[in-house]
Amino acid sequence: MKDNEINNKIKEAFSHAAPDILDSVLSDCSQKKGTVIYMTENGKSKRRMRLIIGIAACLLLLLGGFAGYRVYDLNYAVDSTVSLDVNPSIEIKVNQKERILDVTALNEDGKKVIGDMDFKGSSIDVTVNALIGSMLKNGYLNELANSVLISVDNKNTAKGSQLQARLTDEVGAMLQTESFTGSVLSQTISNSQSLSAATEKYGITEGKAQLINEILKKDSRHTFEDLAKLTINELNLLMNSGAYTPDNISSVGSASDKAYIGQEKAKAAAIAHAGLSDSDVSYFETDMDTENGIMVYEVEFKCGGYEYEYDINALTSEIVQYSREKDDDYFSVQTPSDTQNQQSTSGVGNSSDTSQSQNTSLPQAKISADEAKEIALAHASVAASEAAYIKVDTDYDDGRLIYEVEFVVKSIEYEYEIDADSGNILDFDREIDD
Amino acid sequence: MFSLTSDRHISADSGSASIDDCLSRIALSKDKGALEELYRKTYTSVYSFALSILKNTHDAQDAAHDCYLIIFSSAESYVSHKKPLAWILTVTKNLCLKKLRERAKDTYVTENELEMYPDKMSAVTAEDKIIISECLNTLSDNERQIIVLHAVAGMKHREIAELTGLPVSTVLSKYSRALKKLKKIL
Repeated sequence: MKDNEINNKIKEAFSHAAPDILDSVLSDCSQKKGTVIYMTENGKSKRRMRLIIGIAACLLLLLGGFAGYRVYDLNYAVDSTVSLDVNPSIEIKVNQKERILDVTALNEDGKKVIGDMDFKGSSIDVTVNALIGSMLKNGYLNELANSVLISVDNKNTAKGSQLQARLTDEVGAMLQTESFTGSVLSQTISNSQSLSAATEKYGITEGKAQLINEILKKDSRHTFEDLAKLTINELNLLMNSGAYTPDNISSVGSASDKAYIGQEKAKAAAIAHAGLSDSDVSYFETDMDTENGIMVYEVEFKCGGYEYEYDINALTSEIVQYSREKDDDYFSVQTPSDTQNQQSTSGVGNSSDTSQSQNTSLPQAKISADEAKEIALAHASVAASEAAYIKVDTDYDDGRLIYEVEFVVKSIEYEYEIDADSGNILDFDREIDD
Repeated sequence: MFSLTSDRHISADSGSASIDDCLSRIALSKDKGALEELYRKTYTSVYSFALSILKNTHDAQDAAHDCYLIIFSSAESYVSHKKPLAWILTVTKNLCLKKLRERAKDTYVTENELEMYPDKMSAVTAEDKIIISECLNTLSDNERQIIVLHAVAGMKHREIAELTGLPVSTVLSKYSRALKKLKKIL
């Protein structure tokens, strides 16, 4: 039976089994009506007031035409939408006078920040001030995560960017605390229509969706899906690490990486795992990156003719994945066995190795597939009984016979290339299988 | 015409837009017609989800009943305007958890209990009964809730994760495990 069929069957069974209780719901609603009105008397009368004002505005509209429309427009129409993202995401709607119409939390953290504060009718400045204050108090903004994204959506771009600049200054000033300095990213939303699909799918604000789109334009290694999982501070760190500021985003201050282990520690962890020491390796490059929604340091370095690439978890310094590859640009200082292995790779068109082209006997497998398997398992420090799906293939690579050994331990996939001649490990790769 | 709630957040999916619509009509004018419409759109999901948590048809019916009363009296507190069904199911979940606390020990639904509504339930076939009792008795609590939310309420795995408070990866793996179990039996 197919998955779909099962789903349909379950749906059908439950919908058949659900008893109809509409009548009792409706009659109970009428009974409780008295209490309901009593409980929400305030809200009711406010609504009635609003209705009266609405009717008044309507009359004005009919009588005074445009003038009446203006009164309504000034007070009740949404003029700008401002969203604040830290990890809490909050959307604020204001009218033309910059008085609050509505403040909405877009995620659980946002709800906590708003608490039971009621902003209706206050000014945008007071509201933003109170919200940032609450984020500081609730620990969403601190020396470990100091980035805020402010997005302003207004049809009138000049007015929008004016509001954006003012709020950026205010929030920036609030985040000049004794223990840390904040980083404020800000933008005006240009095309909210095209963003709403993404906000729906990933549950993020239009502001965050636009920021991610801008980052992707600069740095195409990531996917939208991965970035949507990150907080603003993490996105800000990625931008800082790549040393770019996306178009249309203005940025004040830099993101805090104090929560993370730091580049030096990440480097040390990678070198230690490779069994090398600091002096052995050359050509370092360390970047912040993200892998399946976790922040990692990507450490690259070279040593002894190999290129190493590590992803180190930026919080725990755990090794997420690593690989070692032959460095094609490498010719000097080779060990005797390396020389033999390198022979064909470094062949034609390279004057420096003419001295090596003496014997070119056809490669022959001197070790067996089982031996190759043992070499790989021994290198990974894995007992044969622990490894599942062991697969050994032979292959020709650069004119040389090699064994390709693959196996899985728990959820980690190992892949080895072993020289069938010498038993040397030419290449290996360890990846978390998802 | 001066409603402050309708605007650009109306989603492309017409189904959820009208649940949204019903909620705002209930919030603004306690419109019973809107409640009826909302009930027809969501009742199967609400009842099945309640049943998947409570494993007892009486309690599930009570919880669903209370759920609609709460929706009717406090639709104003629904703010997000984006995921109305998720909001309704959160209300359902909280009611069920309250019921669970009140109830001393787990009771299992038997086929006999399903037969207690013979006239209204003529649509229930023998196969339906088997499917429901397997869902209730073979699957673990989390697995059953995930299966019901996905199959009956049509929620996405990400939304299920938010509603149940489980990580998305856990939801995915539990879902496929539960589906395998059911495949074996059915």
